[in-house]
Amino acid sequence: MTDTVEVASPPTTPKAGKRDVWIVFFIAPAFYTAFGVIFFALTRTMPPPRPDITTAQMVDFFVNHETTIQIGFGLLILIIGGAGIANGIVMYHMKRMSTGSVLAYSYMGGMAVGALPGCLLVAICFLTATFRPGRDPELMAFLYDLGLLSYVGSLGCFSVAYFAFAIAILYDRNEIFPKWLAYISVWQIVTEILAVPVFVSKAGPFAWNGSIAFWMGTVIFGIWLSCVIVFLKKATELEPVDSPPLD
Amino acid sequence: MQILAEAEDLPKAANIKTQLISLWTVPVFGAIYVIAFVAFPGFLPPMSPNLSADQVAAFYQEHTAAIRFSMVTYDLLGVMLIPFFMVIVVQMKRMPTQSHVFAYCYLTAAVSGATVFALANIFYLVAAFRPERNPELTMLLNDMAWITFIAPVGMIVGQNLLLGLAVYFDRGPNPVFPRWVGHFSVATALAMAPAALASIVKTGPLAWDGLLSFWLRNGAYAAFLIVMFFVVRGALQRQAVEEGVAA
Repeated sequence: MTDTVEVASPPTTPKAGKRDVWIVFFIAPAFYTAFGVIFFALTRTMPPPRPDITTAQMVDFFVNHETTIQIGFGLLILIIGGAGIANGIVMYHMKRMSTGSVLAYSYMGGMAVGALPGCLLVAICFLTATFRPGRDPELMAFLYDLGLLSYVGSLGCFSVAYFAFAIAILYDRNEIFPKWLAYISVWQIVTEILAVPVFVSKAGPFAWNGSIAFWMGTVIFGIWLSCVIVFLKKATELEPVDSPPLD
Repeated sequence: MQILAEAEDLPKAANIKTQLISLWTVPVFGAIYVIAFVAFPGFLPPMSPNLSADQVAAFYQEHTAAIRFSMVTYDLLGVMLIPFFMVIVVQMKRMPTQSHVFAYCYLTAAVSGATVFALANIFYLVAAFRPERNPELTMLLNDMAWITFIAPVGMIVGQNLLLGLAVYFDRGPNPVFPRWVGHFSVATALAMAPAALASIVKTGPLAWDGLLSFWLRNGAYAAFLIVMFFVVRGALQRQAVEEGVAA
């Protein structure tokens, strides 16, 4: 680990070092690991519970998983800042591309807005449901639908971010990310479009737990995210340690 | 701060002036927030989460006008602190011995945090819109309002940890903020963190009306804003002098 801070540098060209970039980089996979544990193991929203069940079964879902929903989503609303950090480092490396700031800022805008419909609202709904399990079953079913539809069905915020990411990579001459990562990002947009029917379909491949609307999107998201983390690491390694702070 | 006459028309002077205007959103809107806070009939003392549905409905029926006044004020002006957070982003981007990745992560988290704040008051206002609604529904809206208002602290916790890290990494001869601001920012994050549990417990200091989740959380946030007003004002004064805009 080089300590660039001690190096005397002329005041006109400050050297940023990149220990801060490494700190932020390591938060990103840590956050997404916690995110996976919360959604898969604790709150049972991955894979999502079925849309085609009775009101009583929806109440049972909340009652049976009350403790783990509370642990999982209680943790999520505490560490959700990690999502901001994970998006911030992507934005940082996008700003290092030759494509300028527009697409980096677009990525940030889409992702920052998407945190609410994409994962915070389901946490709020499920925590509200488990807060008073004795509530009218119709209201429990309302929270079930609102939470899961906003979670699986928040489409545009992420589509705009993937769009900006793909265009930036394709036009970038600084080779921050490999070109083929852009095409996986385009597939991310396709999976968002294929999730449109979740608002209509209550069973089958296009339901919110369906093979196309949910599973295909989730598998591609997993591949995309793994690639992004690997190449964020690579981009951070290749960044010159004496580069000036970003504008 | 007195802008020098000869610097009056320079872009550098405009940059300082717009930051000063944005900084002054804190005392101006802070005063309005205090008025709206006092006007809300369920903050002094905070409403208990243990009220029955009928008691919650009666609360909205008795205090409809005051609830509307208070929450419309938060709806209209609650996100007016964004310019202040953007001054912090810009000041973080003046720190020469770091890459500014912290500033970009802080920006993303600040935008996401604002979306949550913007949602909470809508729930209060919908509950007050038809106070004659079925009490079960009013209680549901009231639960969602309180849980959304108090519990999702993750973004502000993330912001403050990032600000703390940025201060610690700002090791040049003329740091933007004094070193204690880093400790203060981290301490604020830790003081606000326990409020995440208000989405789970109904009694004791962690309930949404409790000592930790209500008073410490909101008190720490208010103290942070007040202290940072003076801290940022000092930083702007130093920036203006360094850039030859003020004496």
